[in-house]
This record gives sequence, structure tokens and C-alpha cells, in this order.
Amino acid sequence: MDLTLLISMIAAALIGTALYTIIGIVPGTDETAVIAPITLALVLAGIEPIVVLTFYLSAIIAHKLTDSVPVAVAGIPGGVMATPMVEHALVLKRYGESDTSIRKMVSGSVIGTLVSVPISLLLASALIPVSDVIKDYANPLLFAGAVLLALLSKNRWLALIIIIPFALLIQGLRSLYWSLNIVPEGTNVFISFFLGITIGPVIITLFDLLNKEKRTSLVRNRKNTIVFNETKQDKGFPNPFKILSPKEIGLSSLASAIGSFTFILSAVGTTTLIGELFSNREKDPVKKSSLAIACMEALANATYISGSLIPLIALGIPLSSVALGPANALFNAPPVFTLEHNLHHILSMGDFLWATLIGIGISLVLTYFVIVRYSKQICTFVFKWIPHEAILGLFLGLVLLLAFMDAGWMNIGGVLLIGLVAGVLHRWGVNFGVQFMVLYSAPWIISILA
Amino acid sequence: MSKIEKNLIIDPDIDEAVEYVEVWEDVVSIKDLVLSLIICSITTLGAYFIAPNEPPKPLFFGLFGAILGFAICSILIKPKRILESAKDGK
Repeated sequence: MDLTLLISMIAAALIGTALYTIIGIVPGTDETAVIAPITLALVLAGIEPIVVLTFYLSAIIAHKLTDSVPVAVAGIPGGVMATPMVEHALVLKRYGESDTSIRKMVSGSVIGTLVSVPISLLLASALIPVSDVIKDYANPLLFAGAVLLALLSKNRWLALIIIIPFALLIQGLRSLYWSLNIVPEGTNVFISFFLGITIGPVIITLFDLLNKEKRTSLVRNRKNTIVFNETKQDKGFPNPFKILSPKEIGLSSLASAIGSFTFILSAVGTTTLIGELFSNREKDPVKKSSLAIACMEALANATYISGSLIPLIALGIPLSSVALGPANALFNAPPVFTLEHNLHHILSMGDFLWATLIGIGISLVLTYFVIVRYSKQICTFVFKWIPHEAILGLFLGLVLLLAFMDAGWMNIGGVLLIGLVAGVLHRWGVNFGVQFMVLYSAPWIISILA
Repeated sequence: MSKIEKNLIIDPDIDEAVEYVEVWEDVVSIKDLVLSLIICSITTLGAYFIAPNEPPKPLFFGLFGAILGFAICSILIKPKRILESAKDGK
């Protein structure tokens, strides 16, 4: 490995960690919506693939850990993945144990990472022979994935029925662009449609504001009151293995191992399901909640690491909810990456190991240090100085830019349309996984139907 | 503090003149949100169009524009969050 590359990788890991430590704390930000566009931009900008991977890995570790920090500090989730932890953090707060929440979280995160990295790498190596077979069946597999995720989603019949109409919408827009010569025939507009789906829930809320009847029910006159818990900050650096009880270490390791094997399933779903399952047998409320928090944070890391690394190393197609969401740009970002030419094909096993070591290593150590010492200061800074309006502006600006770059002015309307439909679907309980799988398999679905 | 003075103090949490709304799990004011969307769109697309036409420069300029818009909005707009602190156990 040459020195300049190594330095760029370290720099990428540092930037990813710093950026997503802040973004993670901002309330309500969805992982896909904040990680995918920036990774995408780096890919399109022509940054070395291994450097982008390092950046991405450091980003998910930092984001996963810091999005649970506001849960402990103020009882509000920093992201979707942190939502299941809220009730347990509130129990600990009631018993005067808010400090415990943070310590259990960071330690759980360390365990989850240490367990899932080797398991993911081993599992990926074991699955590599399968990738030759998978290559020929990528499209039917992605379609089967859409059906599977639809069956697992909240409103399964609704999600199933919507697969074909949604594929029609996507292919319909694409062939309209071809017939108008906006993009060359056969070029599938992908990136901006992907972002349209991601930002769908926001777009539909913005449309609601223009709808008079809806608007009156949405508008209120109160600001958001955030109550901080008074916590003591640690002076030294507690050993994560001493913070957790032997039982917590054992169960959170086991949970992470299971979470790594179920990499295909939804990360939030797995975290909630296994986390609750493991903590339910503990009767004492304080012990139960701290066990749940440790397990869930470990799981959050494990599902993200395995969901990114296994499909990247072994399969080359995004067959997991994480790969379809935040990691999407690493699989498909035309013209730089396509399903036939992406990180899976470009990087060697050694490259993956280096990126994992540097990206995950730097991010884990730094976030551990920063959160143990400065969790409250960072939360105060973000809550006080970063307006939510600016974040929404930033992401809509990015969507606008990439929509225009993909297919001109008309595509801004197209992306708005996709966002509107995706937002309604999301509200109806059709999760992102189903929608992304349909986006991938739309050309195949339509060619089969035609 | 006299009684009259007390009545003059308006509860800072309630502001009848401003319309707040919850988007993406946090509260924003509609006016500021529109302002922010306009600023970020202009800076992002503006930077994209003034960039020299050799890839990937337009993308880089666009990204820089987006971040510039974000910075401007962060300075102009105040977050709609009120921070309070509470002791554990309540």
C-alpha cells in the first residue's frame, strides 16, 4: 500500500467521523438520507474507491453511535435506528441512571463492532463462491428480495400490490426521458430516483403544508422543548469490558453474532426484535433496560457492518437493507459504479481489510473518546446552533443538484413525483427496502411483463 | 417584580405570530424553512452553473454551494429548540 493512499484513507476516516458525529446527533435524520448522498457525491467526484469505502465505514460507525447519544442525554432519538432505545433510556432516567445509558451504549457499540467485523469477513469469504451463481440471477434475486421485504413489512398486502405500479412509474419516467432525448436510450436514470425515494417522507410533509386542510392540523405555536438530563462526565477512559456486566457482554456478543448472520433483513427490525427478545427475560427494570441498551447498540453496529461488508465483499449486488440504503452508492452510481463494475469487482480482499481496519478502527476509537468525555457539550452545540431548517435545505439542495445533473430541469419534476409517491408509500408502511429493491429490478419486472 | 411587569412578559415558548411545524421529527418555522430552501437551492445550482464545464468540477462546485447555503442558513436562522435541564428521577 503506498503512502499517499494510506494518508488519504486516514484523512477520509477522520472527516467521516467528524462529520457524522455531528449529523448523528441532529434529531430525526434518517441514515440513508444523510449517508447515501454524500457517499454518492464522493463516488461521482472520482475519489479512489478504497478511500470512499474507508469514509463510508467511518461514517456508519460514527453515525450509529452518536445517533443514540441524544437518547441518553435528552430522551429523543438522533435517528431511526435509535428509536427502539428511547423507552429503555427513559426507564434508566427515572431511576436516576442516565449516566449508565451513555456508558452502556458506547460499550455495546465496541462489542458489536469487535464481534461483527470478524464474523462478517468470515461469512463473506465463505459466500464468495456463491457470487458466481448470484451474478446470473441478480435481477430475479432483487425482485425476490422486494417480495420478501414486502411480506415482512407492516402492511404486507399493500406493499406487495404496490411493487408493479411503482416499477411502472420508474420505467415510465425513464422511457419518457428516452423518447424526449433527454438521456440516451438504455441509460437508466438511477441516482436521482434513489434520492427521491429517500427524501420522500420530507417531500410529502412539505406538500401537506400547501394543503390547507392538512396544514391547520400540522401547525402549532410551540417550539421544541428538549430536557437535558444532568449527568456526570467521566474523567478517565473507562474500559468498555468493565462497564458491562458479564451477562451483558455475553448477550450483546451473541446478539451481534445473530445480527451479522441476518444481514439481509431490515437493520431496525433486527435491532428491535433481538434486542427486546434478549432483554425480556430480565425482571429488574434497571438491569433490563441497561441490558436492552447494550444489546441494541451492539446490534445496530453489527447489522450495519455486516449489511455493508458481506454484500460488498461476497455478492457485488446490494442484497441487504443496509446495502440498498446508506451503502447504495458503493454498488450503483452510474457512470462510475454499476452492478457489473463496483467495489466488489474493483477491490481485493486485502483492500477491504485495510479499509475496514482504518475506517472502523479510527472511527470507533475517536467516537468512544469523544462521547465518553463530551457527549453533553456536543449535544448542546448541535441543538443550540444547527437549525433544522438548514439541514433540510442542505439535503433538498443536494437532491435538486443531482436531479438536474441526471436528466435536466424536467427531472426535478420527475424526482418530485417519485418522492411524493415514495412518501405516501412510506407513510402507508411500505419500507424503504421494498422501494429500493423495486427501483433496482424495475427494468427486469417490466421486461418480463411486456 | 410587580404584577403588571409580570403580565407583560410573554411566555417565550408560545409565539402566536409564528407558525411552527414538525418535519423529520423536529420543529421548524414555515417562514424560515421556505427561506432556507430558497437559499440552498440558489447557492447549490448557482455554484453548479458558474463552474467551468469540465467534469467533475460542476459537481464539486455544486457541493460547495450546498455547504455554503447550509452555512448561511445556520447563521441566519435560529434553531427552534428550547433547552432545559432536569435532575434524574423526575
